Amino acid sequence: MQPLANITPIKPAGAIEVRNVGQIFKTTSQDVVALENVSLDVKPGRFVVLVGPSGCGKSTLLMMMAGLRQQTSGTITISGAPIPQPDPNRVGVVFQEASLFPWLTAEENVEFPLALRGVSKADRRAKAQDALQLVGLDGFGKRHPHELSGGMKQRVSIARGLVQDPPVLLMDEPFAALDEQTRMTMGDELLRIWAATGKTVVFVTHSLTEAVYLADEVIVMSPRPGRIVDHLQVSLPRPRTYEMLSGDAFGSLRDRIWRHIRKSA
Amino acid sequence: MQSALGIKLARLAIVLAIFALWEFLSRTGLVNPRLLPSASDTLVTLGDLLQRAAVRKDLVVTATEVVTAFALAVPIGALIGYLIAENRYFAEVAKPLLFFAFSIPKSIFLPMFILVFGVGFSQKVGFGFFSTIFIVIMSTTTAVESVKVEHLTVARSYGATPMQTAFRVYLPSMLPVLLEALRISMIFNLTGVILAEMYASRDGIGHQIASWGENFQMKQLLAGVVMVAAIAMTFNELVRWVETRCSHWRT
Repeated sequence: MQPLANITPIKPAGAIEVRNVGQIFKTTSQDVVALENVSLDVKPGRFVVLVGPSGCGKSTLLMMMAGLRQQTSGTITISGAPIPQPDPNRVGVVFQEASLFPWLTAEENVEFPLALRGVSKADRRAKAQDALQLVGLDGFGKRHPHELSGGMKQRVSIARGLVQDPPVLLMDEPFAALDEQTRMTMGDELLRIWAATGKTVVFVTHSLTEAVYLADEVIVMSPRPGRIVDHLQVSLPRPRTYEMLSGDAFGSLRDRIWRHIRKSA
Repeated sequence: MQSALGIKLARLAIVLAIFALWEFLSRTGLVNPRLLPSASDTLVTLGDLLQRAAVRKDLVVTATEVVTAFALAVPIGALIGYLIAENRYFAEVAKPLLFFAFSIPKSIFLPMFILVFGVGFSQKVGFGFFSTIFIVIMSTTTAVESVKVEHLTVARSYGATPMQTAFRVYLPSMLPVLLEALRISMIFNLTGVILAEMYASRDGIGHQIASWGENFQMKQLLAGVVMVAAIAMTFNELVRWVETRCSHWRT
């Protein structure tokens, strides 16, 4: 055995690197610094939550990771390569509730990314079925979004994000519009899907409880200019349970995040 | 199901009741039958009129004018509406002006159309076009604005080309609003063309209706009214039927 054999190079698939990223929005009256000198490493398969008050640039950062927006300075790489435009093979994105197309059925919505790339109808249907099964919506494929509950719609969105099997899933406040109970259930569902697929997840939220409950790591951001003020490791065991919410470990993590946010609000 | 059927029956009953009242008023002489010929006489006259080659020719003339005006006004109006809606600067400049223009009764411009185009096909089509285009522009603007930014972002995040975005996001998003616009535009279009025919024309169903009125031919006049009403309603219902099939797209 050579000693070098033990040093496996970091497999880049699913790794996210953010280096000294800045974002300046130019308006007619002045330039607004949305993000300043943000650096962040996400290892493959980790569940990372971005949290912070409105205007801290957490969604902007997520959109840049998705290739939907370009940073003013610095570099972002996904699976080892920059992302100058959206690349559905590397990144799946899940948006807020209103993002499903109401004129398509659930399975057609899931097939949408595949249809854009000219995948055959049979292949599309098979992959959509798998994705819908994964998110627990077996048998709901023929329904239109208006026939689905808010939680089910978000399951369809997640299936759509996963249908091309990208190593990274970016989620922009996906459960913000849901009621508290559905939100908790969807959190558990997401953790189940994450455990089953081993994706790297970056999840943006306003909710501190949701952040701690879901995350391996919580990145706390503050506004004006948007930057990272804390990076917490959540060492609570998995699977996460409802009982943990009232535990001391949970409470102290949430308090620590809250103190940062109160300071900047 | 039963209540839906009940509602349909109630509607039918109202229509029948109106015809019955019409028949009753005329037959009993409560209203002078020379002013209001009975419903049955009117329907018989309508049947006779539809047999006449001259009336059919008038219908064809009117239909040609209506279709021509519509075929010009809808694409041109839609293009202008789209360009205005897609450009924030144009939208800010043009929108209030469109509202001003839309609020003016179009009929007051009819004499000018006659002076410019003379009496004939182009005057009627021109006026039909003029009556229609503002509502088309305004509706298209609304339709473009009804496309959700979220949907465009989704398409972009999954790598849609501009063509794919146009056909897979813009078009289906706009379709319900566009269908409604089409329906309402046709009402304006028909009104414009028939008004132009009634005011100054040598042919067309509007011209016929006006001359029947002037000659005190009440049966023919009422039959003409029923005819035009039926044609307008048929088109309207046809588009509405398509509309209801995609009504749940609106969210």
